[in-house]
Amino acid sequence: MRQQRWWAVLMVAGLAVTGCGSAARTESPSSGKASQEQRKLVVWDWKSGEPAAATYIEKAKADFAGRHPGVTVEFVAQPFDQYYTLLGTAIQSGKGPDVMLFNGGGQIRDRADALLPLDQYVAADKSRLAGWDAFSKDGKIYAAPVTLQGHPIYYNKALYEKAGLDPAKPPATWDELLESCAAIKKATGATCFALGNKEGAGIQFWMSGLGSGILTPQEYDDWIAGKRDWSSPHVRRIFELWKEAQDKGLNNEGANSTAMFTDIFRVFETGKAAHIIGLMSDVGHWKDFGEFLPPDKIGVMQAPVDSEGATPSLPYDGGIGYGVAKWTKDPELAADLVRSLTSTGALTAFYAKAGAIASDTTIDVSQAGPAVATIVQQIKAGKPALHVALSSKTLDLMGRLSQQLLSGSATVDEVVEQLAASDRAG
Amino acid sequence: MAPAVLIIVVLRLWPLVLGVNFSFTGDGELNGTPVGLGNYLELAADPLFRTSLRNVGLLVLLLPVAVAIPGLLATFIYLRVPGHRVYRSVYFFPAVLSPVIVGAIFNLMLGYDGPVNAALGAIGAGPVDWLGDPDVAMFTVVGVHVWATFGMALVVFLAGFSTLDASLLDAARVDGASLGRVIWHVIIPSLTRTIQFVFVTTMIGMLTSMFGLLFVMTSGGPEGSTYLPEYYIWHEQGQMNRPALASAASTVLFVVMLVVGLLQISLLRRSGRQD
Repeated sequence: MRQQRWWAVLMVAGLAVTGCGSAARTESPSSGKASQEQRKLVVWDWKSGEPAAATYIEKAKADFAGRHPGVTVEFVAQPFDQYYTLLGTAIQSGKGPDVMLFNGGGQIRDRADALLPLDQYVAADKSRLAGWDAFSKDGKIYAAPVTLQGHPIYYNKALYEKAGLDPAKPPATWDELLESCAAIKKATGATCFALGNKEGAGIQFWMSGLGSGILTPQEYDDWIAGKRDWSSPHVRRIFELWKEAQDKGLNNEGANSTAMFTDIFRVFETGKAAHIIGLMSDVGHWKDFGEFLPPDKIGVMQAPVDSEGATPSLPYDGGIGYGVAKWTKDPELAADLVRSLTSTGALTAFYAKAGAIASDTTIDVSQAGPAVATIVQQIKAGKPALHVALSSKTLDLMGRLSQQLLSGSATVDEVVEQLAASDRAG
Repeated sequence: MAPAVLIIVVLRLWPLVLGVNFSFTGDGELNGTPVGLGNYLELAADPLFRTSLRNVGLLVLLLPVAVAIPGLLATFIYLRVPGHRVYRSVYFFPAVLSPVIVGAIFNLMLGYDGPVNAALGAIGAGPVDWLGDPDVAMFTVVGVHVWATFGMALVVFLAGFSTLDASLLDAARVDGASLGRVIWHVIIPSLTRTIQFVFVTTMIGMLTSMFGLLFVMTSGGPEGSTYLPEYYIWHEQGQMNRPALASAASTVLFVVMLVVGLLQISLLRRSGRQD
């Protein structure tokens, strides 16, 4: 009995010291002379283990080795679904890789405190590479872009042909899209959209893929600039159309239980759906679809216009990029590795092998086929994707609410109201 | 004595105290700043966390089903239904599979256009969105968890049966008792301790080992309907970058487990006294 009391006292003492610690270390990085001795850099990412990225990594390594012959670079490929969990642990302990890969937008902005501003190191690359905004916070750059990530709307030209539609002239308005989809459904049985919303990511693709055809250019720019008017009928319309598409049977069945990356692209490739809002980095794009659909059967269309004054544009940002940890011993050396990872030679290899639209605007993509040509052509007039401007917390909520819209357990008004509140809270 | 105390304090209690300590600090810009009960208030206001706790309650309610299934099957095996030797190994087989594999297999089977719905269609029943319907998904995952884990409970039951006095069964049979009466009046009273033990281990399994299945099968969805505290903690810590909030959630889970654990201990003690 006495022993039990002793443990209870110890527990209470432990609890009494609460509130005077921190979940993450706040130490500043070590600096100075020790850095000169750093002979090894550790990189964390989820790409270097993939066969399609092998040549890219080799080229980047060779580029870096040419300038820093004595320094070893070790790539540690982490599983993507665990990546930010592992990174979070490293950040809290203040120890971890020197260089790390990030998705653009919320994922890097939420962790900017643990990263080194790279402005002074990457100044020479600023004009050659595109997509910096997705890796910037408060005017400072925290990673250099490797790919561009966007949400082109791909369509299956073969299904258009079977339905007697002109595959060279995809629908330009929402009403035309509905008509085309009805014709395709009648002739082939294929649904209008391939939609996978198991992870709640489908709504992000929807918002960014179709948003430029719904919001006016002014509303669009304001949204990206952080002046988001959730009471605007056009913003509401994004979610109305999401619900309407489900209610009218435009989506494949079981969207809430269909995974985005493992299942839904297969639905599109195999001709079970006529359109998909896909990606342009290194997965979920024309090269992936090519296994079933030859390049000449894959089209890329602009967002169908639903509101007067809307001007469709390609939504894109920096896709993935490498940043430098605050705690690295030699910031200059680590930043130089980032420069090698975004060198033209390395990025050309990434584009050629993985099919990614790389961030380097000087790469020649003329041999890649009509879909790539259309996307590259649209990049100049493109704008940042709408969902990337939202915080991770709001995106997470939007995923769940979008599932409620599909199942009918929430109304558009409730969803917009909750998202507005979350967005205001930051 | 000293090394043992040192191990307990340094490796067990100290991390626990640190975790509780973190839960009273802020995340992000407030990193390290004491926020009092702020995280706990946020948890109380978070519908997702409330759902995860409600699901713990649901698991406790479903516990009798999870215990009854291996109990009944073990009874049939003990009563030597035809082919009982085969059943013994077949029922145990899933217990050696990883939850990730089990989840992947059932994802395929329970897909909207998967074989289970195809079979339902063949007999004229409508398709069920097993993993996409918020009212169904939690039951689906629990069902798969029970499928994957009841083999172990079955073995425990069979061990319990080996201590059963066969003359009691013979006497019941001679008296002309039906199968239901044999189970109710002979088997259940004779196996009280075994049943209690299976209750305790199954409850622990359900509360602590469903992360893998949830991760693979539903990722907490749809609509957050399959969240459990464990999954919530992982999500806030890793995906949302909120380690302090996650620490608060794990402290709540710790308290829940402590209460459940104490109830279990008192249950076992009571049964011990009966003997």
